Amino acid sequence: MQLITILIVAFLGAGIVYLIGKISGKARDILAVLVSLIVVILVSLAYNQKIYTSFYPLPFLNLSLTLRIDPLSWFFAIAVAGIEFLSILFSLEYMKHYQKLDFYYSMMLFINAGMLGVVLSADFLSLYIFWEIMSWSTYLLISYKGGKAVGAGLKYIVMSTVGSIAMLFAIVSLYTSYGTLEFSSLASLLQTASSGYILFLLIMFIIGFGIKNAIWPLHTWLPDAHAEAVSPFSAVLSGILVRIGIYGFVLVMYSIVGLNLLHKLGYGLLNFNYILCWIGAISIIIGTFIALLQDDDKRLLAWHAIGQGGYMILGISFGTTLGIAGGIFHTLNHCIYIALLFLVTGAVEYRTGGVRDLNQLGGLIKKMPVTFIGGLIGISGLIGIPLTNGFVSKWLIYKTLIMEKHPFLAFVALIGTWGTILSVYKFLHNIFLGQLPEKYKDVKEVPWAMRLPMIILTSVIILFGILPGIPLNVISGIERSFGIKPLSTIIFGMPREIGELNIINILAAIVVAGVFIYLIFSLSTRSRRVNQYDNYAAGSFIPKDKYQYSVRFYDPVYRIIGPYLRDVVDGFYHWLVEKSISFFQGVRQIYTGNVNTYALYILLFLAFLIITKIGWGLW
Amino acid sequence: MVIKAVWIIVLPIIAFIIGVFFLGLSRKVIARIHRRYGPPIYQPVIDLIKLMNQKSVSHGRLFDMGVILSLAGSIVLVLFIPFGGIAPLSGSGDFLVVLYLMLLAPLGVALSGGEGANPNISIGISRKMMLSLGYEVPLLFSILAVMTYYKTTSLVEITKAQQHLSWGLIYLPLPAIAYFMILPAMLGIRPFDIVSAPQEISSGPSVEYGGKYLALMTVEHAFHTFIVLALFVDLFLGGGNPFTFFVKMLVVFLLGLFIHAVFPRFRIDQAIKYCWKWPTILALAGLIIAYVVTKIPL
Repeated sequence: MQLITILIVAFLGAGIVYLIGKISGKARDILAVLVSLIVVILVSLAYNQKIYTSFYPLPFLNLSLTLRIDPLSWFFAIAVAGIEFLSILFSLEYMKHYQKLDFYYSMMLFINAGMLGVVLSADFLSLYIFWEIMSWSTYLLISYKGGKAVGAGLKYIVMSTVGSIAMLFAIVSLYTSYGTLEFSSLASLLQTASSGYILFLLIMFIIGFGIKNAIWPLHTWLPDAHAEAVSPFSAVLSGILVRIGIYGFVLVMYSIVGLNLLHKLGYGLLNFNYILCWIGAISIIIGTFIALLQDDDKRLLAWHAIGQGGYMILGISFGTTLGIAGGIFHTLNHCIYIALLFLVTGAVEYRTGGVRDLNQLGGLIKKMPVTFIGGLIGISGLIGIPLTNGFVSKWLIYKTLIMEKHPFLAFVALIGTWGTILSVYKFLHNIFLGQLPEKYKDVKEVPWAMRLPMIILTSVIILFGILPGIPLNVISGIERSFGIKPLSTIIFGMPREIGELNIINILAAIVVAGVFIYLIFSLSTRSRRVNQYDNYAAGSFIPKDKYQYSVRFYDPVYRIIGPYLRDVVDGFYHWLVEKSISFFQGVRQIYTGNVNTYALYILLFLAFLIITKIGWGLW
Repeated sequence: MVIKAVWIIVLPIIAFIIGVFFLGLSRKVIARIHRRYGPPIYQPVIDLIKLMNQKSVSHGRLFDMGVILSLAGSIVLVLFIPFGGIAPLSGSGDFLVVLYLMLLAPLGVALSGGEGANPNISIGISRKMMLSLGYEVPLLFSILAVMTYYKTTSLVEITKAQQHLSWGLIYLPLPAIAYFMILPAMLGIRPFDIVSAPQEISSGPSVEYGGKYLALMTVEHAFHTFIVLALFVDLFLGGGNPFTFFVKMLVVFLLGLFIHAVFPRFRIDQAIKYCWKWPTILALAGLIIAYVVTKIPL
């Protein structure tokens, strides 16, 4: 009953918000926030429960639509509800100048409901239904701004449909083979299935979930969609919607198929897990290094979303206690810091009149300190600086790779991080540091409704960075539910038998050292504050507003690696589209519009039938 | 427990003394190679005291905090890297943690410099980032070779294993050579002093620093020198007791200085290409050998 309540609130809320919006804008805003808040509360109340309900029978298929909550679905549900709530809160101010707000808020809530449905459903049919609700409402919201966004949305929905069809294919095949679509019964029924069949299922689901999760080579929709969507929705899209794909991977690989069967797939090095690992590794390299070349801040983050998705795949595809924990934990961490970073870009856009070009910004730290701190902590999480959440999950992934003796994969993962540092520093530097252009001298900090979500996300990054035991405890519950040896955790790090990691000591050391130096610093002669134009340039003159020394910030590196970093896959898809269009143009020629030609076709077809009939007889 | 607490306080002091000694020594040695007399070895100490009492300018909060973060990061790192078998905090973080903590110092400088709003700083930081991307490739390959070979991610275990057997240099010569080839880049000395490059970009990231800022950055540089050398000794030269450890560090440092004293400066693109060529090939070959060796049951 509880689960149905969550979904009813979520879906009905979306509808009511739309209707109320026709009467009063203010009431709609309040209601939208309220609905998403109630969903957060309802989901958090379901913590540590195990519920299974069937809510809608389908007698003609001999199936019923069912819902369940277990550690895995709760984990994702709370992330969905939380991110959605914060970005709706952020939207209140951000979206003020936009049109069609009723549509916007109700679609945001619809997506929320769709995602919750996906993670709460207990059989593939309901998963598929909610999946489609989610995909289509996402399409509507990506195209919301119009203009370029329509193209981005179209690209998304075409790829998403391909994924859905692959998934449907697997679902239908499961239904015809076993007559049921419930996860729990399939999990036991599949244990006797042949390896070939399992592989077929996995590949179909990987296409389905992988397109959503934007793994290489199915990633091409993501950069456009992320860049063109409105910022609060980009946060949802990149933070959690894309990661529903990871939920799907984990669900199919560990909850349904199970470890035993996975290990049987493949011979020697040509192992299912191993191939998936390399797909993840390629995603990391492509994502993080193409991000280096971007000048649009949201596009830069979008490429990182692809790259970080690679880390999650790398973690979960190993199937060890540490690896799965690292992969799932990284999913959560990523959703927090990337949502924060998209909100930061949103805040900057809001105050600078929609500027996204990194080469036109600069120096905003003095005007928007809270946003700056959000950006700083966000990129630290993305890099994985110690004391932020990204560090612990990346540590788990590296540790897995080294302990499982895959140094080459470990190299890819580590060098991906170093590539990340370059591009995210450019992100931070070009927006917030350097010289403040004259045109931004009256910029103010964003209003509180926008500051609050950023502050909450920033503190969560720090909280999970210092006390990783809180989320890891839930994650070990997930592992227990898969029948894998659960990760044993302590609140501020790892127990000794897993590895040396004790965040509280690292924190203490940094704080003590920092305070000590700060004391020396503040006790010695005070420094004089100077303005940004009062600086030393070895006798040259630094002109006002001419200085933005960050255009092509890493030029020598661009020149060396740039030629190798083209998005070949996107090019290939475009080539494919062009060729198919010209092919179908050719096919269209047969419809001349002349009745005589059609009569000729009928005649030719009849002649063909007769000839085959006779020919058959002769053989 | 008490001994540990004592070491936590003493070790940074030792590192500070050694680092500052190396700074003084380097000026003397280079001078002698250039046939000059050179300043006294304690010159850096005089400089530090002088700088702390001088006036300075600040560009803002982050400008100050970045410097503090940078130095704090370096001091903390000293506690994680075994110095002659002593590493008071090694139980709280392994080699992977060390690799990540090594980011704090450059990040601090980059943040602090960013607020300086000076083109020279931007150029310097951009060079620093690119140079580190350059040398991280061979560095990660050689580090992974070590971790793969000794089957652990703990620095203490790695040094212990070398005391039972022989030095890492003997078993893993290629990664050791590769590490040594990029050592000048990590230390920021010629032919890789592209980042500071006083004649081109007026000391790059530290152009706006004066007085206490410059003093703290000098101390940071001393710690950084200590860390890079200690890591090399731990990974490839078998650690040892504190005294032999110091001697090994000194030898490695002098070798580096000899290169520093006679070479001109690379351009940044030359430096990246250099890093991605021979050191990378050697380190990768070393990693492949280490990987194969551990796979073969002996």
